[in-house]
Amino acid sequence: MSTIDYTKNEVNVHGNRSLKEIDDLIVAPLDRIPDKRFFIAIGFTSTLLLIGVIGVALSLYYGTGLWGNNNPVGWALPIVNFVFWVGIGHAGTLISAILFLLRQRWRNGIARFAEAMTIFAVITALIFPIIHTGRPWVAAVYLLPYPNQHDIWVNFNSPLLWDVFAVSTYFTVSLVFWYVGLIPDFAVLRDRATGKIKKVIYSIFSLGWRFSNRHWQHYEMTYLILAGLATPLVLSVHTIVSFDFAVSILPGWHTTIFPPYFVAGAIFSGFAMVQNSLIVIRKVFDMNDLIPLKTLETMNKIILLTGTMVGYAYSMEFFIAWYSGSQPEYFTFVNRAFGPYSWAYWTMFSCNVFIPQLFWFKKIRTSIIPMFIIAIFVNVGMWFERFVIVITSLSRDFLPSSWAYYRPTITDFAILLGSFGLFFTLTLLFTRFLPSIAIAEIKAVSEGAQPSHHGGEDHE
Amino acid sequence: MSNHEKKIEYTKKELPKGFLKYGLPLLLIGIISVVLAYQFDPMRASFNNIIALLVVVSVGMGAIFLVALEHIAGAVWSVPFRRIAEHQGFIFLATPLLAIPIIFNMHDIFEWTHNSVVLNDPILYQKSPYLNTEFFIARSVGVFVLMTFFLFVYLRNSTKQDTTHSQKTTKINALISAPFMVFFAIGITLIAIDYAMSLEPHWFSTIFGVYYFAGTFATAMAVLTLITLSLKSNGNLLKEINRNHYYSMGGLMFAFTAFWMYMAFSQYMLIWYANIPEETFWFLPRMENGWEYLSIALILIKFIIPFGLLLNRNSKMNPSRLKLASFWIIGAHIYDMYWLVMPSYNRMSGTEGPVFGWIELSFIALSAGIILVFYYLAARNKNHIPIGDPKLNRALDFHI
Repeated sequence: MSTIDYTKNEVNVHGNRSLKEIDDLIVAPLDRIPDKRFFIAIGFTSTLLLIGVIGVALSLYYGTGLWGNNNPVGWALPIVNFVFWVGIGHAGTLISAILFLLRQRWRNGIARFAEAMTIFAVITALIFPIIHTGRPWVAAVYLLPYPNQHDIWVNFNSPLLWDVFAVSTYFTVSLVFWYVGLIPDFAVLRDRATGKIKKVIYSIFSLGWRFSNRHWQHYEMTYLILAGLATPLVLSVHTIVSFDFAVSILPGWHTTIFPPYFVAGAIFSGFAMVQNSLIVIRKVFDMNDLIPLKTLETMNKIILLTGTMVGYAYSMEFFIAWYSGSQPEYFTFVNRAFGPYSWAYWTMFSCNVFIPQLFWFKKIRTSIIPMFIIAIFVNVGMWFERFVIVITSLSRDFLPSSWAYYRPTITDFAILLGSFGLFFTLTLLFTRFLPSIAIAEIKAVSEGAQPSHHGGEDHE
Repeated sequence: MSNHEKKIEYTKKELPKGFLKYGLPLLLIGIISVVLAYQFDPMRASFNNIIALLVVVSVGMGAIFLVALEHIAGAVWSVPFRRIAEHQGFIFLATPLLAIPIIFNMHDIFEWTHNSVVLNDPILYQKSPYLNTEFFIARSVGVFVLMTFFLFVYLRNSTKQDTTHSQKTTKINALISAPFMVFFAIGITLIAIDYAMSLEPHWFSTIFGVYYFAGTFATAMAVLTLITLSLKSNGNLLKEINRNHYYSMGGLMFAFTAFWMYMAFSQYMLIWYANIPEETFWFLPRMENGWEYLSIALILIKFIIPFGLLLNRNSKMNPSRLKLASFWIIGAHIYDMYWLVMPSYNRMSGTEGPVFGWIELSFIALSAGIILVFYYLAARNKNHIPIGDPKLNRALDFHI
């Protein structure tokens, strides 16, 4: 076990690189033609995407009869996938906004990438409500309220509509936040660019950034305010997603802990996804110094924390189901744990609560392969959590004569695979077109960048 | 980045006189008036006793949590205040004084202790494996013993480190804080369920423990801030402690004020929307006979006003504003506990509407007296700064 020296400040960036070397390292993947591994990877993910496109196209042509949905399980994989992907998005804003407000400097190395994943995850999630409208080409007309001569309005009482507002606001703010962070980096790219077209594009996006003191002052204030605005949004989005279920009276859906429990779960799965992707990125792009092991360890601690919070919520739900003395409520939870879907329940419970407990051990927390595997388990578990919530409560509702077992069909799985394909295709493209690490932010936490009382004495 | 050993100039100094000057009279008046209250109206007194207990648990147990939080998160900025939090945790030892009268008056407070009612009520009967006197007392004792154990471990380690300056102690503290967090989460949930939720034994809400925790965190932080400000102005702390540190305290109070609102909103909104009689009956008494004004005022008192007081960055750094906000947050927590508990008093006693009089004030006086005197007892003749903590130099060099 390594010993920590508590008298020393933590080092967030290793390697003691000069500013130019940092630029070179981060921009390198944009300049070179990608190698074979990249094409294999993007070939794989775009194949998945294609499978999903076929699934969606068939569904739109033949109808939702291709899906496993039945009566009473009217909500099934599409909403499971929607909630899963919206959840994945939460880590990005937590890292970029909340951890920024909490002055966690270790976040600087991973904020850009996590924020990008937020945007891609929300795009992926949005597919599902858009398919849900049945005519995706007029989805905007169905989803947004606008005055019309038929006086037909969206249902303002429905949390599904609040989702539209919450998710689109979240997406917009995340995108603006991401872009504001990118402006100084676009300027770096502009100054380095050799080709004419590149130069023009980067010049447009960098908005005339000249690294002047005044620019930085405005930038810092904008960033701070956007972080402040994004913070309640992180909480509100999954709160409203949880309302989709919790405002109903269905046992297993209606429980007051749902909002914070969903938010904790979302951050949990989002961190697992970001951790997985970062492990690949830092290896492939040789960025181990910029995203040190310490950062991954801290992320694992947050995974452990949020996993345990989720465990608290599971236990509390179970306890209150018994304590309430409400028979349907108690039945639902016993049915989850020991009914026909017990396999899903225990998959969820072990992946989300038991397996992350391994992160108590520093050895596991700091070894790449175990942490990678645990984070995969976390994402499997979080997908199953939504599956358990949606399916078990519906498949055995108040009327035993209408109980039915739900089985996803091959089309359901095709769309699920497609969502992964879309997400990872976008992520891969991102690593080629934009700097995966915020150049300006990483410089701010690299060695020697911090103000010192000792007149810039040499530190090691 | 200044990692160079800097000499910390710390001289021990007497605590500010206020702790005893206000603490002792408040404690005496509190004890006398509480005894009178129990003679005069035992039922009302025992419900007020619950409020006092919940507030003192928030201050004391919340402080132990703050200590553990610093250890487990590896926080640096809060190191100069950790000793204050440890001494504040000592206030938790006063909780049996407040819990024992409740346990002797359980029949007046908890409907589920009435055997005849429980036997004729299938739901209460079904809950009786949890809601029964013996298990209730066992849970309270269990939480008290565990928390006290951790408190003494933290106090001992911390005091020892003053002379040893050992890094190992910091590491051990971090290690034991991990199981502490688990016990704390269970403990605070049990206290919330037992002493507040079970007042209406038919009612249930999964968020209730978190709701109480949100108020607890803000209150413990507010008391910590007040003690810090008073010690600082008396010269008990180090001169390096500055507005950047205050900012963090204000920030946390602000965050947990918002967090409380989030919990309260989640609970209310979901119950209101689903509109199931099994749940709504808890809110109904809070919406009639004058309680409706108190319910609306709760939003203002516990969320909007402290939120406004602390929103601005400068106000988080301004000691006099912080002092106001801290007092406000403590008062708001008392108000919240009153709102949580007293409608059940109406039901049990057959009265209508909120009551407020000398009985309520006497328990507030008692709680304030306990907080001041127990802090004095814990902190007198002690160092108020963990001078041996290896992170102290970094913490003093803290800038936002």
